[in-house]
Amino acid sequence: MKVEDLLAEAMERQVGHVQAPPTLGRAVRRRHRAHVIRFRAAGAALVTAAVAVAVPLALNTGGPASAPAASSPTSGQDSAVVDSVTMPDVTGMKIADAVAAVRAAGLGVDGPEPVSPESADEIVVTQKPAAGVEVARGELVVLKSMTRAKGPQDLGDLGDGRTFGGIHVGYLPEGLDWSRWSGKNGFGKTSYTTSYAPGGDETDGYGVQIVVFEGEATQFVRKRMGAMPSVKIGDREGYLADVSEGGEVAKEPGDDTTATIGFFLRDKLAVEVYISPVYAKKVDAAAELKKIAEGIEPAK
Amino acid sequence: MTDEDEAAFDEFIAARSTSLMRTAILVCGATSHDAEDLVQHALEKVYRHWPRIRRDNPEAYARKVVVNAAISKARRRRLIQEITFARPPETAAPSPDLDLRDALFEELRRLPPRMRAVLVLRYWEDQSEAATAALLGCSPGTVKSQAARGLAKIRERMNVTEGVLR
Repeated sequence: MKVEDLLAEAMERQVGHVQAPPTLGRAVRRRHRAHVIRFRAAGAALVTAAVAVAVPLALNTGGPASAPAASSPTSGQDSAVVDSVTMPDVTGMKIADAVAAVRAAGLGVDGPEPVSPESADEIVVTQKPAAGVEVARGELVVLKSMTRAKGPQDLGDLGDGRTFGGIHVGYLPEGLDWSRWSGKNGFGKTSYTTSYAPGGDETDGYGVQIVVFEGEATQFVRKRMGAMPSVKIGDREGYLADVSEGGEVAKEPGDDTTATIGFFLRDKLAVEVYISPVYAKKVDAAAELKKIAEGIEPAK
Repeated sequence: MTDEDEAAFDEFIAARSTSLMRTAILVCGATSHDAEDLVQHALEKVYRHWPRIRRDNPEAYARKVVVNAAISKARRRRLIQEITFARPPETAAPSPDLDLRDALFEELRRLPPRMRAVLVLRYWEDQSEAATAALLGCSPGTVKSQAARGLAKIRERMNVTEGVLR
């Protein structure tokens, strides 16, 4: 029997019993619905004094654009109803926070909450209209959100994800956002890692991953220090190479190599930065790695 | 999306999702729970563009999303595991009570994710070299060489294993 056939049998044996659950279609549609929140800026109120005002607004929870118009505009004594408000920047916020921010800008929600418990943690990735644009009465506001990465959250909420494990990342290629996961001790005891991807979405892979090695874990970087092609990072010594999945230096970048830069920030604190093979096709990986490395400092 | 679109999407899911889940598990070594999440994510993308792609080739599109997400997941897992659980090669032979096919599968799991994906697509899904190349976004030549190298690695390790088994 050929090894290919044996292999196919081995694979059959591993997954032959797996069946997609019958609820999959429903789950996919639910996921889809949770992705878009639309509401109509049916009335916009500008609060002119610190007085609680009932702000008239209507919400269309994702139905067709022909949602009922808002209740008639009312205003408190110290407020004025205006025809438009400025759309705030809500991308990167949790849906719940984004809706609150849109409200705070003077647009509000009249009707059921647009945020269901299962979508509350999703992150707004795009918004229409863009931040700074005047939203006129009756205009459709669309927030598109994405499920939070399900990766481990060993280091908790890192905000913009640029400060972790004792370092601060001063520079990242444009368009990369924190992928909202973090790992601890995966690269040796006292190591920390997280990654960044275009729009923070890792569906198509990560863009940049950073690992911080502390204490004993720095031995891994120490070993590679002598073995890999060296590079100057500001006044620090480091190494820069395309590394194969087996950990060897590859002659040229390929689909199974990872562009890698590594260096010591100080004694017992080292950093490695990787650019994925997919992302390496979009940017000058070596130049970007150097820039990222130069921008990394011990966190204050 | 028309009612007809919705019905066609249901049909597509009924016909294809099991196969997508199996592929996801084989490529990234995930549990079926993780694989389901991965497949849900891919199908959600398909659903979003369904009216446009349903008559094109929605399966290839879904498979592409699943395979690439699985490779990327496997890469991270591998990076993390390799350093944490790295074991010297001389202790790599599986214990003798493992069946040959289980041992083969273990060898498959130890291959780099992309190489593993090539083997899964070529020999489990019976995809052609050209189709596999299109799914992975590489050249047919890369598929050919990765498949050959993958099989060679498995064969090489199996010689040792078979010796243990007999």
